[in-house]
Amino acid sequence: MNTTHKTLLTMLVFLIASCSSVSTDRTNDATAISASASGAYSDNGLTSNNILYFAYDRSDINSEGRAKIRTLAKLIKDNDLSVRVEGHCDERGTREYNLALGEQRAKTVAELLIINGVSSNKISTVSYGEEKPAVSGSNENSWSKNRRALVKTF
Amino acid sequence: MIKKRVFLIILSLVFSAFLSSQLRIEIKGGLEDPINIAIVPFQWNLKTPQQESIQRVVQSDLESFGEYAVLSPENMLSLPSRAEEVFFKDWRILGSDFLVIGEVNSLEEPTEMLVNYLIFDVVRERIIHRGKVIGPIVTQRKMAHKISDKIYSKTQGIPGIFSTKIAYIDKPSDLNPVYNLMISDIDGFDSLSLFSSPQPLMSPSWSSDMKKIAYVSFEEGSSRIYIQELATAERIGLKQEEGINSSPNWSPDGKKMSAVLSKSGNPDIHIYDFKQSRWIQLTNHFGIDTEPDWSPDSNKLIFTSNRSGSPQIYELNVKSKKVKRLTFEGSYNARARYLPNGKEIVFVHRRNGIFHIATQNIKTGKIKILTDTTLDESPTVSPNGNVVIYATKDGEKDILAGVTIDGRTKFTMPSMKGEAREPSWSPLID
Repeated sequence: MNTTHKTLLTMLVFLIASCSSVSTDRTNDATAISASASGAYSDNGLTSNNILYFAYDRSDINSEGRAKIRTLAKLIKDNDLSVRVEGHCDERGTREYNLALGEQRAKTVAELLIINGVSSNKISTVSYGEEKPAVSGSNENSWSKNRRALVKTF
Repeated sequence: MIKKRVFLIILSLVFSAFLSSQLRIEIKGGLEDPINIAIVPFQWNLKTPQQESIQRVVQSDLESFGEYAVLSPENMLSLPSRAEEVFFKDWRILGSDFLVIGEVNSLEEPTEMLVNYLIFDVVRERIIHRGKVIGPIVTQRKMAHKISDKIYSKTQGIPGIFSTKIAYIDKPSDLNPVYNLMISDIDGFDSLSLFSSPQPLMSPSWSSDMKKIAYVSFEEGSSRIYIQELATAERIGLKQEEGINSSPNWSPDGKKMSAVLSKSGNPDIHIYDFKQSRWIQLTNHFGIDTEPDWSPDSNKLIFTSNRSGSPQIYELNVKSKKVKRLTFEGSYNARARYLPNGKEIVFVHRRNGIFHIATQNIKTGKIKILTDTTLDESPTVSPNGNVVIYATKDGEKDILAGVTIDGRTKFTMPSMKGEAREPSWSPLID
């Protein structure tokens, strides 16, 4: 092979080689650290836990529920109790939307308590959405038991 | 030479069977015409014995979503580790379109190693990429994932996601009665609990630099948004307002966080401005507005609202506050996420009572259902826009499952311990 051919060949090799890419990556052994909570929330001082149920996707109370709330309101006023209403949903649908639906349920119950004479500063509401079901199971029997509001008196 | 390699392959297979992981991938479906690729076990030139197999990790990565058919080492006719050892005929005969070879060498620092690898286009008989990965020997899996990413991007033209992570919530079990915020590699290895609590955890969201995760915790009795730094486990609770504090979602530019507060009386979309340390209200409607997600350019937010009577997806221009409805098919459309191209969304779509994951083109409104599972929720998209992971049920068990965006490959990731929900795919890191 003469010099010209060799030069041409070298240029060709460089040309082909330059069509490929080059990279250098580096890794490190950094890792994440864990933390934990002990959970300050508790049901200390609970005097009663009452349950109201709801239809799928709904936050309205039927007449049976309304009667229950009337009775509860009297008990609360007579004994000067504090109330916490917790709203819950069944597992269907998205979690954050269910957090909002659970809040609607809790608020509906709270409003009915207020209408029946309970002072609003005695009532707090919280929603757990679908995060704290009463029973597990992906069927209407289980779902109906999870669509609920808990009225806890202290 | 070949006998030694076979021995090493068997040894590494035995070792990988013992490694524990919390998410396993089981695949069904796949492309009819996958890319045929051969990954030759890399030559190990270190004095310390080989504990992992880079080849095995790369093969497993590339097979994850049905896009590649990876040649088994026992079918290989030769085992080159250098360019001059490659006979393209050996690979053309076996039908390989691409070939990857490499070797592992020591560095001055004895705890570190250097991997040199070459990617070949077999048909054109040329090198398309020369790569190097340097790092501690203990980070071999990470190094293999980086190689998988490079192979993927050179053969597919879009970034690989094998170095990304998934955050998810682990539900309490009898053995472990706490909620855990978990992170894990996409292949299920290196899973770690970032935070554990006896009260519920929800909605993990990654910052775009992958250094922080925001999430909702009920540890104080009601929902509050926390931001945790991964490297230090330092936690900051954002100012807790009356009612719901939830659905945190970092803006891609890292400057703001969207979230849901119901302090006004009903759930509305808010933005937390980190500079001013305050909440700014964006929507003001008496219905439920929730589940915000930022557009890739940080100018818009999609969110779920029941303002028309039932949950639908809306798009909000952050500057003008103008709201536009996006979904019109079906009576329940929720929890939308933008695809990285900003032109489509993936969301939960209920049809005939069944909750599916679907995509919709924002311009045309065309819907495509991706899943044939039921009770699907929480879709999260890979940062290259190719794969969706979501939460669903397998009988009574909460599991994570996935589907490629073209709907062709479906896979499940059943947790070995506990039950997984609310997956959140991390961004890409360089």
